[in-house]
Amino acid sequence: MRQESIDEPVAVRADFQGGVVTPVAFRLRGREHRVVRVNARWVDRVPRHPHFYFSVTAESGDVYQLQLQGTDLVWWLDSVTLEG
Amino acid sequence: MAPQTGAGGEPTVLHVDIDAFFASIEQQRDPRLKGRPVVVGAGVIASCSYEARRFGLKAGMPLSEARRLCPQAVVIEGRAQVYRCFAEQIFARCREVSPAVETYLDEAYCDLGGTERLHGDLVEAARRLKRSILAATGLTVTCGLGPNRMLAKLIGKTVKPDGLARITAAGADDFMRDLPVEKVPGVGHAHARTLRSMNLRTAGDLRLLPVVALERLFGAPGRLLHERCRGRDTAVVSGREVPLSISRETSFHRDTADPREIEGMLEYLTGRACRTARELGVRPRTVAVRLRYADGESDERARTLPQPSDADPVVLALALDILGRLFTRRVALHHVGLVLSRFVRAGGEQGALFDEREAGRRAALYRAFDGVRSEFGHGVLVSGRALHLKGRLAEDEHGFVLRTPSLTK
Repeated sequence: MRQESIDEPVAVRADFQGGVVTPVAFRLRGREHRVVRVNARWVDRVPRHPHFYFSVTAESGDVYQLQLQGTDLVWWLDSVTLEG
Repeated sequence: MAPQTGAGGEPTVLHVDIDAFFASIEQQRDPRLKGRPVVVGAGVIASCSYEARRFGLKAGMPLSEARRLCPQAVVIEGRAQVYRCFAEQIFARCREVSPAVETYLDEAYCDLGGTERLHGDLVEAARRLKRSILAATGLTVTCGLGPNRMLAKLIGKTVKPDGLARITAAGADDFMRDLPVEKVPGVGHAHARTLRSMNLRTAGDLRLLPVVALERLFGAPGRLLHERCRGRDTAVVSGREVPLSISRETSFHRDTADPREIEGMLEYLTGRACRTARELGVRPRTVAVRLRYADGESDERARTLPQPSDADPVVLALALDILGRLFTRRVALHHVGLVLSRFVRAGGEQGALFDEREAGRRAALYRAFDGVRSEFGHGVLVSGRALHLKGRLAEDEHGFVLRTPSLTK
């Protein structure tokens, strides 16, 4: 397993239903990656505004960590974990 | 104060233990890790999955040995911040079922005394809690219900992972009698060796010794052992955790002998440890510095403060003095740590009469620092020697990103 830091703002299509946000797809460097599974979600409430984290599996099978910052509602792509 | 008693007249404590905590979170975050041996830690194992445990891996084992025993293990350095978020989610659910919850890194004690009318069957309430934690986090926990903290934890250990068990006061005697001595809380390797050399192998055997004999063998803890081997534990579940010690330690990204880097790191760790002490409302009497050299040798020294204090400069002055006396070998350092212990409640100690105004001003200053840091992250205020770390270490909203974040308390 190899984790690579990306740390870039990304455009994300997300579902906001019943007070729960679920990322559906994100666009990285011009290419759309569809989310096939949300593996885990957690909230960090230590910063001034909460940060919402999502570990998602994309169609490629790679696992990405997305972050929605409560301050400005900007999505960030933190990292990708690759097999091998 | 005795633990609260329930409607049935029996106090009930629920112990909640998160199964293979860090490793389970990593398997949750990346489903490709499920079913594979996963190890979390840097230098030593902080947590490992049940698949890894089948190869003999366990917490505290050096990673080099872990790799030898299980070459296919996936090793992850770990992120303390992520694990803390998951733990908080779990503890929030514990607080929904109990008015008094005492939390540690990966476990919680919930006082359920007096909640029978609210919950009905407490075993069913524990089962509901397990389901709610699983739904919210995807993690399994093991629950033990008992008449006191010790029995709740011990009975839970018999059904790990993902288990639920209850022991009543009536069943405690039988349960404890056959328990091996090393499983009795408070019996470490040295005590177990002494007891086994006397052919005392179970808690039942231990009951043969009168309290004076146990006190002569082990000092004050001997009295506790006398109670514990009978299944008695009078410690109450306290909503506020007062730890025996607060330690903040880390390995350097590269072994170093640069005094500015070492002192800078020690100042940074002191700031974090003192902030935790202030948040808990406690002041340490004793400050210890731990060093591990690049050649594997380690050293530790502790000293007592003239007055208990949670002020960074007071603790730092003593820590630097200890460091100066301790760091004498001409070998680079691999790891440095600071440990605060022997706490008194803030305000509960005697201070010098004329220092009070100064102490008040200092307390106000640190309240302001802590307020800023909890709003914007610890790293926004960095002082003195710790400024040398700026640019050398990456930062996030929690401060510098250390190589070995405090995965354990």
